[in-house]
Amino acid sequence: MNPAEKLAAQSEGSIRGANAARVTLSKTITACLILLLLLVLTLFATSLLGSERLPALASACALSTLGKYACGLSPNQAAILFEIRLPRILLAGAVGCSLAAAGASYQALLRNPLAEPYLLGISNGAAVGTMMALLFFGGYEWSRPLLAFSGALLATLVVYRLAQGRAGASPERLILSGVIVTTFLSSAIVFVTTMLDATRIRSFTFWLLGDLSGTSSSLLAVTIFVAIAGAAFLAANARSLNLMMLGERDAFDLGVEVTRVRLIVFIAASLLVGSSVASSGSVGYVGLVVPHLVRLSLGSDNRIAIPAAAICGAIFVVVADTVARTVIAPRELPVGAITALIGAPLFIYLLKRG
Amino acid sequence: MLIAPANRNYRLVVLTIALLLACSACVRQERAIHSASDTAGLRQVTDEAGRSIVVPQEISRFISLAPNVTEIVFAINAGERLVGNTTYCDYPEQARQVQKVGDTLHPSIERIIALRPELVLVSTASQLEAFTRQLEEHRIAVYVTDPRSLEDVFRSIAALGLLLNRNDSAQHLIDQLRARAAGVEAAVSSTKPVKVFYQLSAEPLYTAGRDSFVSDLIRRAGGESVTADVPGAWPKYSAESALAAQPEVIILPTGGSMGDTNGTLAAALQRTPAAMKGRVYKINDDHLSRPGPRSLDGLVELAHALHPEAFKQ
Repeated sequence: MNPAEKLAAQSEGSIRGANAARVTLSKTITACLILLLLLVLTLFATSLLGSERLPALASACALSTLGKYACGLSPNQAAILFEIRLPRILLAGAVGCSLAAAGASYQALLRNPLAEPYLLGISNGAAVGTMMALLFFGGYEWSRPLLAFSGALLATLVVYRLAQGRAGASPERLILSGVIVTTFLSSAIVFVTTMLDATRIRSFTFWLLGDLSGTSSSLLAVTIFVAIAGAAFLAANARSLNLMMLGERDAFDLGVEVTRVRLIVFIAASLLVGSSVASSGSVGYVGLVVPHLVRLSLGSDNRIAIPAAAICGAIFVVVADTVARTVIAPRELPVGAITALIGAPLFIYLLKRG
Repeated sequence: MLIAPANRNYRLVVLTIALLLACSACVRQERAIHSASDTAGLRQVTDEAGRSIVVPQEISRFISLAPNVTEIVFAINAGERLVGNTTYCDYPEQARQVQKVGDTLHPSIERIIALRPELVLVSTASQLEAFTRQLEEHRIAVYVTDPRSLEDVFRSIAALGLLLNRNDSAQHLIDQLRARAAGVEAAVSSTKPVKVFYQLSAEPLYTAGRDSFVSDLIRRAGGESVTADVPGAWPKYSAESALAAQPEVIILPTGGSMGDTNGTLAAALQRTPAAMKGRVYKINDDHLSRPGPRSLDGLVELAHALHPEAFKQ
């Protein structure tokens, strides 16, 4: 039994009967509440860590009043905590939430456990879009997420079309199409960076590996909004995605508007990937590792898996970025290097086990 | 009939081998002749990476793969023998007319060999290992300069003067530059060093570290780079550490080769004492990032930015 079938078989059990649905709902709510609590704790704990050592008690006190009281922090320390560290941690959370929710949905929709924004070339599509925005509309910050979204959506549709063979889309074919699109877009990126002057190449290469430092507050707000709205939207479509995992024809017979669901999931996932790439580059493996771990521990019902993956994704990237910004402080690593270092071996392990 | 194709293949193989042997023989012969005729006019020198290289007594054709080296070469009047340089070599004006061999990191090895230089001057050895080996196979010497302080720049100028037989021009240039440096240092000698942050790029935040030439310039200009102890030449730096260091002056290298990039202060640095007191200065990045004759312009500009009071008439 291949992993996709296994996912489908497991979810089949949980979609029978109204009673089961109620059980699922309460289970989802419990799981999400616990995970949210864990997320808040993570945000709180990682806010106390950084290249500069801040007094822990005073920082914790200031954080718990959301900055209303300085609790003895100097203005400088408060600025470090609230204007540099906290926005970055929130961005990490939004990016992780976006990528994990998008990954979980791609996996369900494409019935492929290996579907992931980074591996399918969707992140690269968004990266090319962002670069185009920087090149042609450098002054307009809004152009970045917009073009990144367009790039992601375009890459998604191309990969999806390429994967359709005469015998339908096989998982291998999908991954191969992803590899082709990824390498094509990587060459496009190399071409653009070569055209740019040398001084900008360095910042681009860093950004391509996923970098969470130095995002403006408006872009941060957009990313957080898209992350929450997009993940909630995908979670709301989880029932349709469950049925899609049975196969598109079966889903159609069960009353799912297959074409419409596919299109809106593609759009929502592309928005999630686009906004996170526009603000932080391509952070790899989040959309693969997190949904897998969630499914292993909570089951593959998308009604639980998607919201849980979104929250766990946030926790994962926040922790990875804390490592990236503290391990060689005051110098920094790109967060994408950390997620790939954790993600790739875990992926191999999952592949061997599965 | 059946044997014929195999037979033909066999003949082809023998013929190819024979040809190859003949070719390698003539190459070897040619090399032997070359080195025999050259031994009289050769000398051995050690470059700044500690490598020992052999070059002709009189170097008539050479290539520079770094803009700062190109500037030194023209300043010591050896520019007329420069047969190739990089797309970044834009100063002095004559450097633009020289044949381009690519950029600093991706020079075209074919074009370099086609230009028949006796010597290639590079500024750091790190990225050029494979490339250096290839050039040495073609008997083109590679000389590495690696100045990490102003004193190193003077040493590089002297070394290039000897290498290119422009010793007098080089010594004259060094005397001039030393006099200017001494003038600046005397002017700021009685001032209190100010804390400086060097913003190489805002997003992401890059600065000048321990191995950077800029840290030395800042020190001589009466400043103290808050990142002078950070490992590396151009490290990516934590925004919170930059803010925590409370720099009194921030330098933005921009306006030269960088164009208008790096013209704005990183958002995280808006609350530094430097930004709040309006002490953020833009200095032509070519004067600060190219260890060469124009570094003295950089030093003067830095000193005026850090200690305007020392230069009031």
